[in-house]
Amino acid sequence: MSDERGGRGGRGAKSADKGKGEGRPRGGFFRRRRVCKFCADKIDYINYKDVRLLTPFIPERGKIQPRRISGTCAKHQRALQTAISRARQLALIPYVTD
Amino acid sequence: MSQNRQYELVYIVAPEATEQEVADLHTQIEQIIQRFNGTLDKTENWGRRRLAYEIGHHREGTYVVETITGSGELMKEIDRRLRVIDAVIRHLTVRVDEDLRVAERLRDERKATQARRRVARGLPPEPSPSERRGEAHEDQDEDRIGLEGAEVQR
Repeated sequence: MSDERGGRGGRGAKSADKGKGEGRPRGGFFRRRRVCKFCADKIDYINYKDVRLLTPFIPERGKIQPRRISGTCAKHQRALQTAISRARQLALIPYVTD
Repeated sequence: MSQNRQYELVYIVAPEATEQEVADLHTQIEQIIQRFNGTLDKTENWGRRRLAYEIGHHREGTYVVETITGSGELMKEIDRRLRVIDAVIRHLTVRVDEDLRVAERLRDERKATQARRRVARGLPPEPSPSERRGEAHEDQDEDRIGLEGAEVQR
């Protein structure tokens, strides 16, 4: 009985630890809390002709940066996706870079 | 019958084309617009730009952006014409009126919310320029967390 309680307590402590360290994985490397850039800057319309707005979301390879890395909200990621594909058609942004 | 909508037309002219040819192309499009009772709202010539990838052995191109109000038939005709013209290496039409309307609505809503909240706090609805700095304090917070992270690294 007491064992079980101890186990439960341990589990609780563990999950609390996890919660605390979530933003700071082992290895001492810290990732800044991600905020959707478009929400923060209050950009309502993601213009496909604005290359400077789009490039931060295109890593070297030319793929679209996933939401889990960039922190963009779902709504803006969707809009970003269409904007990037339009910019690609117009050769403003590459489809792929090797 | 046909509704008027706003479109954005972007086309890329081959780099060999002279400025005269680009201007001719523009007048050609203008004529089509006139024929279909549309209006040309804005023209932007970006000039020569490097392409992100090769299009038919071209590495550069002249970009022209036209904002047009007109019917779908008009855009269809322009699209058909641009397809045929060899000097145009790429073109894209995007309907923008709805997107812009949505953006405008969002902006208005945000303004209204801000005004309502400010009035509730007993402030004038419009923030004065000196208050703007208050909005940046979230950033400061983040910076502080960033510093903590640096300490952990050490």
